[in-house]
Amino acid sequence: MSLPAIEVEGLGKAYRIYPSPGRRVLEWATLGAHKGHHEFWALRGVSFQLGRGASLGLCGANGAGKSTLLKVLAGTTRPTEGRYRINGRVASLLELGAGFHADFSGRANIFMNGIMMGFTRREMQAKLDEIIAFAELGTYIDEPVRTYSSGMGLRLGFSIAVAVDPDVLIIDEVFAVGDMYFQKKCIDRIYDFKQRGKTILFCSHSLYDIRQLCDEALWLNGGQAAAQGSSVHVTGEYTSFQRTHIDEAKRNISAQFGGELKAASRSEALPRIVDARVYRNGEECYEIKTGDSIEIRVWWENPRPEQTPIQIGVGFMRQDMTTCGGIGTHLDGIDLCGRSGCAILRMPDVHLLSGQFLVPVILFDREGVHKYQEFLLPENLVVRAQTREVGLFRLDHAWELRADVPAPAARADAGKKA
Amino acid sequence: MTPGPIDPAAADPAPHTAPAGRWVTGASIGPADIAARIAGFPRMLFEHRDLVLTCVRRDLEARFKGTLLGFLWPLVHPLFLFVVYYFIFTKLLAQKLPEDVVKGRETTLAVYMFLGVAMWSGFGDTLLRGAGSIVDNGNLIKKLAFPAEVLPLVVALVNAVTFVIALGAFLIASCTPLWHLPSWDVLLWVPVLLFLQVLFSYGLALLLATLNVFLRDTAQIAGIFVTVWMFFTPIFWVPYLPGIRESIAPYLGWIEGNPMAHLLYAWRYVLMHAEPVEIFPHDPLVSVGVFALWALGMFVVGYSVFLLGKSRFADEV
Repeated sequence: MSLPAIEVEGLGKAYRIYPSPGRRVLEWATLGAHKGHHEFWALRGVSFQLGRGASLGLCGANGAGKSTLLKVLAGTTRPTEGRYRINGRVASLLELGAGFHADFSGRANIFMNGIMMGFTRREMQAKLDEIIAFAELGTYIDEPVRTYSSGMGLRLGFSIAVAVDPDVLIIDEVFAVGDMYFQKKCIDRIYDFKQRGKTILFCSHSLYDIRQLCDEALWLNGGQAAAQGSSVHVTGEYTSFQRTHIDEAKRNISAQFGGELKAASRSEALPRIVDARVYRNGEECYEIKTGDSIEIRVWWENPRPEQTPIQIGVGFMRQDMTTCGGIGTHLDGIDLCGRSGCAILRMPDVHLLSGQFLVPVILFDREGVHKYQEFLLPENLVVRAQTREVGLFRLDHAWELRADVPAPAARADAGKKA
Repeated sequence: MTPGPIDPAAADPAPHTAPAGRWVTGASIGPADIAARIAGFPRMLFEHRDLVLTCVRRDLEARFKGTLLGFLWPLVHPLFLFVVYYFIFTKLLAQKLPEDVVKGRETTLAVYMFLGVAMWSGFGDTLLRGAGSIVDNGNLIKKLAFPAEVLPLVVALVNAVTFVIALGAFLIASCTPLWHLPSWDVLLWVPVLLFLQVLFSYGLALLLATLNVFLRDTAQIAGIFVTVWMFFTPIFWVPYLPGIRESIAPYLGWIEGNPMAHLLYAWRYVLMHAEPVEIFPHDPLVSVGVFALWALGMFVVGYSVFLLGKSRFADEV
């Protein structure tokens, strides 16, 4: 039986807040009899276990304690109460390029940064080529870091950080850096970690990332766990909380100011998706078989259809970020008229093979360029294939076996090309 | 690739983080833990040798990077100092020590002051920069789980290297008619004194750096403290000169209590062996012993205070 990779029991972290340095001196002078500080609990009563090879995503508003939890687990600060244990080698990535020295070349910084992260000179020597290849900085690698653009600095920092091969990787929203090309590379690298059975713990404001990379998620609110469990469940809870939260805030404002504000708020007048769900045979359903017929219903509102004409797009993305398909009203030449409605997307005989699919529903402007809103379905779409075909889709096909079809003569240029 | 079971003992933990597979709690450390950590200091240092050496080299390189003379600079500086002292005190002010008059030489006072200044400039810099070293590198401590005890040590070692370079300059000067080489058997004391000097300055810098995390006034106070201390240490004045000897006699007890006076006495004895450099009426070896006790005590105190404060560094910097 193997131990879980991360065990956390009742973890809490309090910061001491001193109103002024004088209060601290007073506290020292009286040997603590005069308490000059008050405590701020950034984190309290958090418990979870994460098995080896699993990944946990942290979500929550700014100041909810996500970074504090990661800092405690990364070992930069000690917990105030509770305890944790990490079984395996840890690498943490709280900030990219922390400790870079601007006057030294990228190559020299690779060494120094790696050694500062706790690796030996020999280990860094062995990984040097890999890091340089991953960063793809070309001849800049031998230039001083001060000549780098900020994106290049991030590239180098990320390359050093992922070159290490830990059992547990702790990341504070720093992957997906640089340009689109490098972002994809970063995500692939993280995904590769996961595939190789490494444990990943990270925080992100992107619920898509959490759903895509994580099996489990933890939603922190005010330093405490508001929900934890499967990433689909937790991100769903968090989304619906945010929605009611915003609605509540809106109600409070209109209660306070009466009707005055009704037309004033500009965001009120923007189009939005009210809800979107998947149905099979008239019933809501997120677990289907290949070949099932489904409907995706999207309820929308558009207070000013003349000023803001809209289009709706639906995408199917497998967990490894492969886009399997994208459908849109703008692509099919459909117009969404009126102030509200329900767009029903009928898909007979879904060809997708086994997998978990993210189904983002996107509200576009008329040209399909600007995104007004990206909407998450309450759950991921799980498809189970009944056959043993491989790949993303089942291709329509038929076999025929005959004996009377002769093979064509060999092509004249076949030998030359080889 | 299927994950196998983790054997915590076999896993090679990244040295900066907690050992793999051990519970980490917020419990504060007790005297037994501190004693164990002090005893384990050499091992900790060995594990972090790459880090320490890299940081020392980086600090030195950063200081001279982009300059024309590069690594010749630490050599140029003390040589220049030596020439200036010689010119000012010996030529301009015609100051001579009694033995110079006897032996018909004139450089002793310049050498005397040069050694004092060369040693103190490194020591003072260790205290001043060391005091700020943890706060100034807050980003490393917060983001990289960096072993903070390394930071003041790097400052102390960088200054030790600079001092060794100054000693090199001194040896070069000794080959000229200006001075003469000290005898080789006495030079064997150089590494011992250097080690004790690093230990003492590191302990004190650790103490200041830790206090500075919690009370930023420490770095300011350290500035005043280092200057005052410098004047109370016989760097620019010669305690055994007639006139001075009588006037400091009532305060000799105070000077006895100044560890740096003992260290300087030993340094001057070693490097100016042939000359009588009596500050204290006892053998220089006694001063080495006294300073060794100071160094050890300062290290234990500084490191203990550091260990007590360490768990809150990331929250305070």
